Amino acid sequence: MSDPSSINGGAAVAMVGKDCVAIACDLRLGNQSLGVANNFEKIFNYDHTFLALTGLASDVTTLSEVFRLKTNLYKMREERSIEPETFANLVSSTLYQKRFGPYFIGPLVAGINSLTGKPFVCGFDLIGCIDYAKDFVVSGTATDQLYGMCESLYEPGLGPDDLFETISQAFLSAVDRDALSGWGAVVYVITKDKVTKRLLKTRQD
Amino acid sequence: MGSRRYDSRTTIFSPEGRLYQVEYALEAISHAGTSIGVLSNEGIVLAAEKKVTSKLLEKDSSEKMYVLNDQCVTAVAGLNSDAGILVNTARVYAQQYLARYNEPVPIEVLVHRLCDIKQGYTQYGGLRPFGVSFIYAGYDDRYGFQLYTSNPSGNYSGWKATSVGANNSAAQTLLKQDYKEDISLKEAKELVLKVLSKTMDSTTLTKGKIELATVSKKNGKIVTKIWKPSEIDALLKETGIVKEENEENEEIN
Amino acid sequence: MDIILGIKLNDSVLIATSKAVTRGISVLKASDDKTRNLGDHSAMAFTGESGDTVQFAEYVQANLKLFSVRQNYELSPKAMASFVRKELATSIRSRKPFQVNVLIGGCDINKETPETSLYWIDYLGTNVELPYAAHGYAAFYALSLLDRHYKPDLNEEEGIKLLQLCNKELSTRMPIDFKGLRVKVINSQGVKEYDDLTAL
Repeated sequence: MSDPSSINGGAAVAMVGKDCVAIACDLRLGNQSLGVANNFEKIFNYDHTFLALTGLASDVTTLSEVFRLKTNLYKMREERSIEPETFANLVSSTLYQKRFGPYFIGPLVAGINSLTGKPFVCGFDLIGCIDYAKDFVVSGTATDQLYGMCESLYEPGLGPDDLFETISQAFLSAVDRDALSGWGAVVYVITKDKVTKRLLKTRQD
Repeated sequence: MGSRRYDSRTTIFSPEGRLYQVEYALEAISHAGTSIGVLSNEGIVLAAEKKVTSKLLEKDSSEKMYVLNDQCVTAVAGLNSDAGILVNTARVYAQQYLARYNEPVPIEVLVHRLCDIKQGYTQYGGLRPFGVSFIYAGYDDRYGFQLYTSNPSGNYSGWKATSVGANNSAAQTLLKQDYKEDISLKEAKELVLKVLSKTMDSTTLTKGKIELATVSKKNGKIVTKIWKPSEIDALLKETGIVKEENEENEEIN
Repeated sequence: MDIILGIKLNDSVLIATSKAVTRGISVLKASDDKTRNLGDHSAMAFTGESGDTVQFAEYVQANLKLFSVRQNYELSPKAMASFVRKELATSIRSRKPFQVNVLIGGCDINKETPETSLYWIDYLGTNVELPYAAHGYAAFYALSLLDRHYKPDLNEEEGIKLLQLCNKELSTRMPIDFKGLRVKVINSQGVKEYDDLTAL
């Protein structure tokens, strides 16, 4: 009941398609069973690299600010934006620095490498162990439901439009079976030269 | 030299009430390449003279212009290695401010912070002061576009047009002569190049000898930009300050 | 059992706080003020562990005042909320965290058109901007009322009416007498204070 990673609720998923990736999150922020906000986005972007953070909302905000600071300094030092693979390692080492007093979050990284054009997604545990995936990664209080939906709906090699459809259906069905997730959703579809953000209407209970 | 007794430590006043180490730092800067800044209500232009020391030197990298954050750039005059330390401090401070308040750091707050650090080295003994002056160009919601300079003593001031480094008094006179209150960004660029061409050692401006940075507003968003040599080249041609015939010679250099 | 409520209106923000101080079975005071002004155009209401609350509120109040004296400029409500959030987020991982929940209402007068905002921040360091907000048990009763009756373009008078509706419900449903509500109205003119909602 007082597990920090499920006080506020929330869920996220990322999927790989053909020359594209998609990442989605819900908009709910709650206090146990009480819904507090329906505008709490859990996806952040650092130029072309996308990060979803589920778990304790306080840590979601803190980490999104920490990564903004680190990627901004990286960008000025390197005179280029951070690549998804590099960012994944930054997330990993940042989380492991707090090995014995961790942030209660479940991050996902998604993006397309601007040099190679390769789609990339990965997930992490709360202390930074990277889970590289070639299909999809999930996170949050609807993790079990998301695994089930993704396992049954996902297929490799989907184009941007089909990928959007797949990730949206999987995500909506999953959060509808979780009391702590939902209250609206956001889906980003990322291709090499375009990012589309769509707001999904969901059940409001 | 009467100064010997008072200049080995930064903390000691001379009998005439001077801080020699600080004055030497200022002296070091007055030999550095000139940097100029001009403020307009459409944006700010910074330009600096690059002292090209050898044709063998890799010169694609910018050495005097630094981005401090998304709304502020700075031009350096003085010891570049000293500047690097302060620039890094400024970048980290700007990002920490952003993380803390979720708002970009106001330009004056950033300048103030750097000057506090500079001032510290004029008072706490054993170390030498930072041998750098900066020109800061930035934007914030409070005062709009702003231009500041700071020097090794830790003083700073706001300007409409200013210069630091070698020949800065000549540059200042030229700026005073030609500056207009309602100057456009384009005119500011031209003014900066004109003044620089007159104060530089060599008579001809080329992309290899100058650096340029701007802060402007595009579609309501602040854009900071450090110009690439090719872009500077295009600007020089456009403004007609450089003559085509000089191009070839300079390319070799 | 303390009540703190906030409602964002078309050009102002209302902050209402209960006046009772309770300890165990006693009501110790009936004229408590659970708010502090963070600047000329912002106020913070707070609840939580007694002792922590005032200590924390005055700590951030003093720090924000120090900032404005040093820099000769007042932070926007958004920046103040970010600052308070960070203080609580750092505190939660300390040896003895502040157990304080707050609402911050403010008006950003440096925007082209003055912008009002309301922030809900809990002791964990969770910060969200909301149209209406409440902490504690009062939230369960007040939020459902506000969900039903809130409109973003309410004026000050209609906002007060809405607060009175909340007050009525809370008086009926809360198990103790909370001794009425003190109200602060924040707009581009500054912060106005009213000793009791029912007098309005």
